[in-house]
Amino acid sequence: MRRKGLALRCVAAVLLSQACLSGGAIAADMRLISAGGAVSEWLVALGAADKVVAVDSTSRHPAFLTQLPNVGYQRSLSAEGILALHPDALIGTEEMGPPPVLKQLDGAGVALHRLSAEASLAAVQANLRKLGDVLNAPEQAAQRYRAFYHELTQVTAALQPIAQAKPRVLLLLSHAGGNPMVAGRESAGDWLINLAGGRNVATHQGYQAMTSEALLALAPEVIVVTDRALQGDEARRALLQQQPALAVTPAAQAQRLPFLDPTLLVGGVSPRVPAAVAQLAQAFYPALKLPSSLLAGHAP
Amino acid sequence: MKPLLSRRLAFVLLGVLLLLALWLSLSVGPVAMDVATLLRALAATLGMPLQAPEQAQLIVAQIRLPRTLLGLAAGGVLALCGVAMQGLFRNPLADPGLIGVSSGAALGAALMIVLGASLGGLAPAWSPYLLSLSAFAGGLLVTALVYRLGRRQGRVDVATMLLAGVALAALAGAMIGLLQYLADDATLRTLTFWNLGSLNGASYARLWPLLLVAALLLWRLPRWAQGLNALLLGESEARHLGVDIEQLKRQLILLTALGVGAAVAACGMIGFVGLMVPHLMRLLLGPDHRSLIPASMLAGASLLLLADVLARVLIAPAELPIGVVTALLGAPFFLYLLIKGRAHA
Repeated sequence: MRRKGLALRCVAAVLLSQACLSGGAIAADMRLISAGGAVSEWLVALGAADKVVAVDSTSRHPAFLTQLPNVGYQRSLSAEGILALHPDALIGTEEMGPPPVLKQLDGAGVALHRLSAEASLAAVQANLRKLGDVLNAPEQAAQRYRAFYHELTQVTAALQPIAQAKPRVLLLLSHAGGNPMVAGRESAGDWLINLAGGRNVATHQGYQAMTSEALLALAPEVIVVTDRALQGDEARRALLQQQPALAVTPAAQAQRLPFLDPTLLVGGVSPRVPAAVAQLAQAFYPALKLPSSLLAGHAP
Repeated sequence: MKPLLSRRLAFVLLGVLLLLALWLSLSVGPVAMDVATLLRALAATLGMPLQAPEQAQLIVAQIRLPRTLLGLAAGGVLALCGVAMQGLFRNPLADPGLIGVSSGAALGAALMIVLGASLGGLAPAWSPYLLSLSAFAGGLLVTALVYRLGRRQGRVDVATMLLAGVALAALAGAMIGLLQYLADDATLRTLTFWNLGSLNGASYARLWPLLLVAALLLWRLPRWAQGLNALLLGESEARHLGVDIEQLKRQLILLTALGVGAAVAACGMIGFVGLMVPHLMRLLLGPDHRSLIPASMLAGASLLLLADVLARVLIAPAELPIGVVTALLGAPFFLYLLIKGRAHA
C-alpha cells in the first residue's frame, strides 16, 4: 500500500516537473517556509504567497504573513517544528541557523536556500535569480528585478541634477526614543542614505551608540528616525523627549526628521526599498519632484 | 530535618518520573506520531530489524533521541554538580556559579561568538565545536583561577574561594559586557540565545563528551558521599573523622568544573537545575549524601527533559529557550517551598 502511494507520488512529481518545464508557471503544490523578513516580502512580490506555509519572526510584511505559523527567530530554528509542516524548501538568508538544525533539515530532505542579507543591488539581483530558480519562474523574477532597478534609477536620475551639496544626514535607530544607535559605514542605513543622495556623517562601522554631545558635534541637517516601538510622529516626539540635546541640531530646528520603517534595516533588501529611498530623497531635497506612485511604493 | 518520604518510596517515584520524562521526550513533538510508529522507529534506531516510515525514523534517530540523551546527561550532571557545591560550601543556596565555572564558560562562549568571525580561515563547519570548546576552556580556566586564589599554605580556604569566585564572576561579566558593546545586532542575538540555553540541534558529536563527563561524575562523586556527610559537621570535625578534606575539595571542584563546563558547552547556560534540584531532594530525603547524590541525578535529568518537552511544544513550530522554561517552572515552585517552610517553622 505504502509502496503504491510512493509510486503514484513519483509519477505525479515527474508529471508536475514536466508541466513546469513546459509552462514556466510556479509549481502549484510547493510548500515553502521563509526564514527572513525580506525573503518573505520577495516571495509575496513574486506571487508565491500561497506557497508560503510558515514564516519566521522577522517576517512582518505584508501583515497577512503574521497569521501564518511562526517558526521562531531565524537564528534559532527548530528542526522538528519545521519538519512538522512538511516543507519542500526552507528559504532564508545566510543568517539562518543554528547550523546543526540546518544539517538535520538537510538530512531530512528539505531543500535549503540561502539568500544574501547584504544591502546592495548585486545581492538583490542574485537573490531574485535564486528565487526564480526555486519557484521555477526565472522570467518572472528577472522582470521583478528590472522593475526594482527601474524604480531606484528613477530616484537617482531625478537626484542627479540637484544633488550637488549633499545634506548631512544621521540615521538613529532607537527603542521608544531611548538609547539611539547610529547607523555607520557598511550598515543598511548607510546604504539607504547614500542611495537617497544624503551624506552619512557617522563614520564608525555598523550600528553604535553615541553620546548626545557627539551627535550635536556632527551637526546633522537631517535625522532619519527609526524606532522599533513607535511610528511616525510618536517616534519623533519620543526621540526629542528622551534626547533633549537633539533639539538644537539643525535637523530638529528645521523639523527635518523623516521616519523610516526599521524592518527595512535588517535581513537584506526588501522590495519596499525603492519607495523608502524615494521618501528619504524627498526629505533630503524638498525641491525634488518625484512621481507620487513611486513615493507610495506602487510598482508600475 | 525529617525526610518527607522513605528512601525506597522516593527512589521508586523518581525512577518512574524519569521513565515518564524519557517517554514524553521521545514521543512528544511538533510532528505527530502514533505509538506503534514511534516504537518501530526506536527499535530500528537501536539496530533491530524493524522498519518505520523514513521521516519518523529520521525524527526519532536524528532529532529526538540525541536530544533526549543530551537532556538526560545535562540535567543529571548539572544537578550532581549542584549537590557537590552545596555540600562543599555547606550552604543550600550554593550553585556551580560560585566557583566561576558558569561565568568563565559564558565568557569563553562570548569571546568565540563575537570575535570568532574575525579568526577567519576557519571552516564554518567547525564553528559550533569551537564555541563548545571555548566555553569549556573558559569554565575550566576561571575555576582554576578561583581555586588558585582560594589556596593558602597548601589549603583551600572556602570563604576566600567564594569571594574570589564572586569577584571573577563580576570581572567576566564586565568583559562580556564589553564584548556585547563591540558586537553587531546579529551577534548580540546569538549571544542572548546562547545564554538562555537550548537542547535544540542536539547531535551525537556534541553528546559524547558530555556523556563521558557524566560517567566520570557518576563514578567519582558517590565515593565522596560519606566525606560530604562528615563535612556537614564542619571542616575540622570532618578532618577528625578521618576525611581527607583537601583531597575532597580538590576533587569536587575539578568534577564540578568538568561537569558544568561540559554541560554548558553542549547546550548553553541552563540555570536553576543545579540550585533547585539538590535543594528539593534534601527536603524530600534529608541531608544524607548517599541518597542525595543519586536522587538529585534522577530528578535533575527528569526536570530538564520535562522542561525541554514544554520548550518544544508550547509555541511550536518555534521553540522556547530551555533556560526560560526551567526558571519559569522552578522559581515559583521554589518560592512556594520557601513560604511553606517558613509557615512550618
